[in-house]
Amino acid sequence: MATRDVPAKTAEVPPPMMTVGVMGWARENLFSAWYNGALTIVLGVVTLLALWFGFAWIFGPADWEVIAKIGGRFVIGQYNTEAACIGQDCFWRPLAGLMLVTMLLGMAWGVAGGGFTKRVAITVTAVAALAAFIPYSFDVMGLDVRLLLLANIPALFVGLALARYTRLGTMKWIAIMSVGVFLLTLLLLRGLPWVPGLQPVSVIYWGGLMLNLLLAVAGIALSLPIGIALALGRRSRLPVVKMLCVVFIEVFRGVPLITLLFMSQVLVPLAFPENFPQNSLFRAAIIITLFSSAYMAENIRGGLQALHPGQEEAARSLGLSGWQTTAFISLPQAVRNVIPAIVGQFIALFKDTSLVYIIGMLDIVEMGRAFIQGNPQYLDNAQELFIFLALVFWVFTYGMSYVSSKIEGNLGVGSR
Amino acid sequence: MTLLTRITTYEGIPLWRHVGALRWAAQIASAVVVVTLVVWFFANIVNAIQDRQIPHGFSFLQRAYQTPIGQHFLPYDSSDSFLYALVVASTNTVIVAVAGVALATMLGIVIGVARLSNNWILSSLSKVYIEFFRNVPLLVQLFFWFYIVLELPPIREGYVIGGNLYINNRGITMPWPAADSLIAVVLWLGLAVGAVLLGAAVHRMLVRREISTGKSSYPVISGIAVTLGGGALAWLLIGMVAGEAPLTVSYPEEYGAFGRLQNGFTASAGLLALLIGLVMYTAAFIAEIVRAGIQSVGRGQFEASRALGLSPIDTLRHVTFPQALRVIIPPLISQCLNLTKNSSLGGAIGYSELTNVAKTMTQTAPAVSIFLLIMAAYLAMSLSWSLVGNLYNRYVRIVER
Repeated sequence: MATRDVPAKTAEVPPPMMTVGVMGWARENLFSAWYNGALTIVLGVVTLLALWFGFAWIFGPADWEVIAKIGGRFVIGQYNTEAACIGQDCFWRPLAGLMLVTMLLGMAWGVAGGGFTKRVAITVTAVAALAAFIPYSFDVMGLDVRLLLLANIPALFVGLALARYTRLGTMKWIAIMSVGVFLLTLLLLRGLPWVPGLQPVSVIYWGGLMLNLLLAVAGIALSLPIGIALALGRRSRLPVVKMLCVVFIEVFRGVPLITLLFMSQVLVPLAFPENFPQNSLFRAAIIITLFSSAYMAENIRGGLQALHPGQEEAARSLGLSGWQTTAFISLPQAVRNVIPAIVGQFIALFKDTSLVYIIGMLDIVEMGRAFIQGNPQYLDNAQELFIFLALVFWVFTYGMSYVSSKIEGNLGVGSR
Repeated sequence: MTLLTRITTYEGIPLWRHVGALRWAAQIASAVVVVTLVVWFFANIVNAIQDRQIPHGFSFLQRAYQTPIGQHFLPYDSSDSFLYALVVASTNTVIVAVAGVALATMLGIVIGVARLSNNWILSSLSKVYIEFFRNVPLLVQLFFWFYIVLELPPIREGYVIGGNLYINNRGITMPWPAADSLIAVVLWLGLAVGAVLLGAAVHRMLVRREISTGKSSYPVISGIAVTLGGGALAWLLIGMVAGEAPLTVSYPEEYGAFGRLQNGFTASAGLLALLIGLVMYTAAFIAEIVRAGIQSVGRGQFEASRALGLSPIDTLRHVTFPQALRVIIPPLISQCLNLTKNSSLGGAIGYSELTNVAKTMTQTAPAVSIFLLIMAAYLAMSLSWSLVGNLYNRYVRIVER
């Protein structure tokens, strides 16, 4: 009787050393072929040299004094100058607006219960609070400013407590309060003539990052609904409505924003009666919003077109009306599918706020440029200035795309 | 039935519930609102023009502009008319746009392909490039490059490379082709285009023969040889007839006491910074488009062509990229449009493009008319890009089976 050959138990052989671990990774990603190896070495040397000289420049010949000299003007522009705020100190108003925002972030944290909302809220508050310890002398940056910046920490926890222990802790209330906080901040910044301590500050003195953020927030909040309306109008079966929307979208997409901004300053005042209340900031905000809505409309139209017609037919056959189908079936799916494009447009809008220089407003970029033009001894430090500005914008735009990817993850895009 | 019910009822449905009637009502209402607004704005503008005696109309176009334009590619003098100044400014915009699109597309394709490389350093570097240049406002980038050029040494202490390339804080001055007689240049250019077409035809014929017979007949080399030979032949022919070469090279020369330069071609600081900035910025967007396009081609295509023995480069050239083009072209066109529109930022760094010149013009000419004119100019440029893109798209589409 033949016995089955039982194979002798072999010792477990480890995988070849060159296919796993650091060596395996390097072999696959850096040296997979002779030309890849050569490329890796050349690029590696070039990158190291660039980093070496870059750091050597940053900590060596680069003179960052110009950034320190501009300092707070990067944030609020000429808002707190003697000309803007006659006989008063107005620095507390933007800071109070910032505290309202951190409070809102605290509420959002409370409602979301952690996750990336918590991270965003804590990061913003920490940056604001750490700004209190910038090593300026107390003549330049007083104790009051520092204390107001530190007050963002309690503001965050007030918001958190409001969300946890009162009935305000719902998404609906946060949405309502966001609008309220935005309007209240505008009111604080603008001032009221009959309230002592709230002296009106003309919008021509609003500037710095504050101006960029105000324009961006207003534009982002309004361009999405207007864009949705335009996209629906462009897909409408009513020829007149469709034509009007197409003309609007194509005209705003065909002309550079800077041209529109400049012409708005020249033409819009003529288009309204002489005593009609308006100002340059308001006009710029409207033009930027309309410009962005035209692009937004095309993004959303793309989303609507990509939707399977069966969705709409199914909704109609379930008895939903045309409006209900659009509002509850088509739009939510269309918007969800084009979130990357929408956020891309938000980022473009934020970058475009730097174009208000054309109408003489001193946003963060123009503030810096005007400073080095007015102080020619800093002309040689323009690189330091613009690298700093690029980093500021990069942090914000990268933050926006980070939040967008998180929202996409939460909505389950691509996983259903 | 009362009279009112009979009037307001259609086939038994009251009008306020009748879909057709409601649609008409909605259209009429929206049209009325928009037309009223437009008429109101227009009436206000007309009123303001009359009350404040603001100049209007298009008669200013014949007047002399009497303002210098920084860098210009067409001959321009301050005594030229507004109309001609607008043409000069549009040419400035178009030249930056065309050069920018060409360079940005090349750089964008290189970076987009590099992003997909399996070399980790190369793909990370291109990712860093894309994430940085895409997320920083173009204006900041333009200022950055502009002030770098301005920090170069002044003209007398500037760098001179090879005796002919002058680099200083006014820009770069380089040798440039110059024409003595326009007819000879146009004639030669026409013949040169003919030579290119002939070379392409030869290339196509040889490729066909190679496919049908299986024998190698060097189509690329032959095509290039025919093109170059034809061009050189035309050059010699025109040179013999006209007695001189159709194009000569104009070298920069120093003159005067301050080391100023004449002849050659000077790319001013504004033009240089605008071109560099636009190209670097737009290339980041194009790279993402190219990456998405290549990724949209099924992985099987890549694997199949590798299995057939094509090298990675040949796979990209003959299999993946031609299919990706169909996805790439439409967003690429919109990037061309964006670049053209973004060139309007050149005014901030002293390059006299259309918007900048128009802005200066509004000080001495009616703003409404200028606005209409430059809007028409930008719309025409946008339409041209769309036309070029759509034609190319159709050409690419033939590849589809």
